[in-house]
Amino acid sequence: MALHPSPPVLEIRGLTKTFPRRGKRPPVTAVDRVDLTLEAGEIVGLLGPNGAGKTTTIKCVLGLIRPTAGDIRVCGWDVRTHHHKAIEHASAVLEGARNVYWRMTPRENARFFAGLHGLDHRAHRSHIEELLERFGLTDRGDEPVINLSTGMKQKVAVVCALVKQTDLVFLDEPTLGLDIETSLELRGLLRELARKTRRTIVVSSHDMDVIQDVCERVVILKEGRVVADDRVDSLLALFRTRAYRMVLSDGLVGEVVERLARAVSGLSVTARGERTELEFELPAAERLYEVIDIIREGGAVIETITQKEPDLEEAFLRVINDTGSEGGAGA
Amino acid sequence: MKRWTVFKAVFVKNLIELRRYLFNLVTGLVTMYILFLLLFFGARAIGGAAVKVGDTLEGLVVGYLVWLFAIIAYQELAWSISTEAEIGTLEQLYLTPAGFGWVNGSFLVARFVTNLAVITLMLLAVLLTTGYRLNLDLASLLPLTVITILAPCGFGFLMGGLALVFKRIQNSFQILQFVFVVFLMVPVSEYVWARYLPLSLGNHLLRKVMVEGYRLWELPAGDLATAVGVGLAYLLLGVAAFGYCVNVARDRGLMGHY
Repeated sequence: MALHPSPPVLEIRGLTKTFPRRGKRPPVTAVDRVDLTLEAGEIVGLLGPNGAGKTTTIKCVLGLIRPTAGDIRVCGWDVRTHHHKAIEHASAVLEGARNVYWRMTPRENARFFAGLHGLDHRAHRSHIEELLERFGLTDRGDEPVINLSTGMKQKVAVVCALVKQTDLVFLDEPTLGLDIETSLELRGLLRELARKTRRTIVVSSHDMDVIQDVCERVVILKEGRVVADDRVDSLLALFRTRAYRMVLSDGLVGEVVERLARAVSGLSVTARGERTELEFELPAAERLYEVIDIIREGGAVIETITQKEPDLEEAFLRVINDTGSEGGAGA
Repeated sequence: MKRWTVFKAVFVKNLIELRRYLFNLVTGLVTMYILFLLLFFGARAIGGAAVKVGDTLEGLVVGYLVWLFAIIAYQELAWSISTEAEIGTLEQLYLTPAGFGWVNGSFLVARFVTNLAVITLMLLAVLLTTGYRLNLDLASLLPLTVITILAPCGFGFLMGGLALVFKRIQNSFQILQFVFVVFLMVPVSEYVWARYLPLSLGNHLLRKVMVEGYRLWELPAGDLATAVGVGLAYLLLGVAAFGYCVNVARDRGLMGHY
């Protein structure tokens, strides 16, 4: 039973999944005490290195994998006890799978998946046609999917997930294998979709550009645990205030470089002709004065100081590297 | 209503796939036609003067159909699950509010109906080309056939479940074929326990209709009730085993594997 009038679209509490292994080898913990709440209309990026637990988390939500522990509710429905009701509100394009029937046409696939969700395709014809139109598939809607390009096949898979009109849509690596042009087009479609339909969309991808471009919020997983959960712009701002690039008119002696290395993190020193370029990060903005003092005492002149504009990839790598192997909240 | 919509979707998909794999459909039709021709000429050769050709022929046709439906019932679901896993659509079939079992049950029914249509069509074609007439009591035979294949359907769900966990189980089909032959041949009138085997009592009742000319309502009510009960019991056991295997596959994260 739904517990209150407008529960979160997705609520995960203490989700843990361990897979037993053959022989006496210890079980593998793929997902470790994950908590996550998603509200209506959010578009969230799920990031993590290979084996971080992204796909396992998604499959647990969809009921494709049975969790070892924890609770998952989709629109208030417990996935474990009311899977049929929970799955009415969720759909997905899964990574590494075709997801659709290549011998059938995009239109036939869309009708089939609507029907599989209990939606009569005749009653939802206009919605199906609208989606095909929006994804540029109308003209080739009656051609077997096998004859379409990789990008179009992926679009058909996304259409078949969207045709179910669910509150929650998972897109696991939606742009994998697509050329840049098609990837950009698909990103635009996803942004438009989130804006217009108020659906909650979870995009899992290795492509940071996709997440940065499409998502408002990002959840980073590492070794099965959530190590960051923040808005994309907040995460970027966090690193923007810390990352600096400095150009000096002279070189630096070894002793000064050593002092700098102790004061900052991630120091890189590059000689460019007579100039020297420094890149570094500071644990706090006020430490910049200390850096300036070291350089002045070393006899070098600062020509420019700029804050580096970090992209999500840098932020992601930083979070992953900062959290060590035991995980824990990073950002 | 939702479940009916899901059934229709699965049924239509089945038809589309039949049409899309046209070569397979045509060769299936031709094979079926040749098989019926062989059955007809074989019956005439066996019948000779001592046995009425009609009885032998009708017995063979019905026997063949029961056999064929039993094979469809226990093999097709496992084949379908293996194929869906290989082409990467199996997990999507799980994401339905009607339930995975319903989708697979709908698939089985769809396969029966389309196979029945194809077989009827080819049977009619053979009757037209050979000039034979069949004297079949369809009102008795159809319900009895359905009752008889309930148990193989149960095996179908069991095999489908095993295919989810072990992925390739086709070699076990051959063993099961022999086991089914034994079930069909056990003399139910001699051994009471044989009534509780899959196929055996249903096949016995079918023979009574075919050979001894009984009508459905003339058969012993106890026998009919037992046949239905046994068929349903095997079907339910099969569905329960399927549900168990689905959970094993979900526990081990095997749903998308092949």
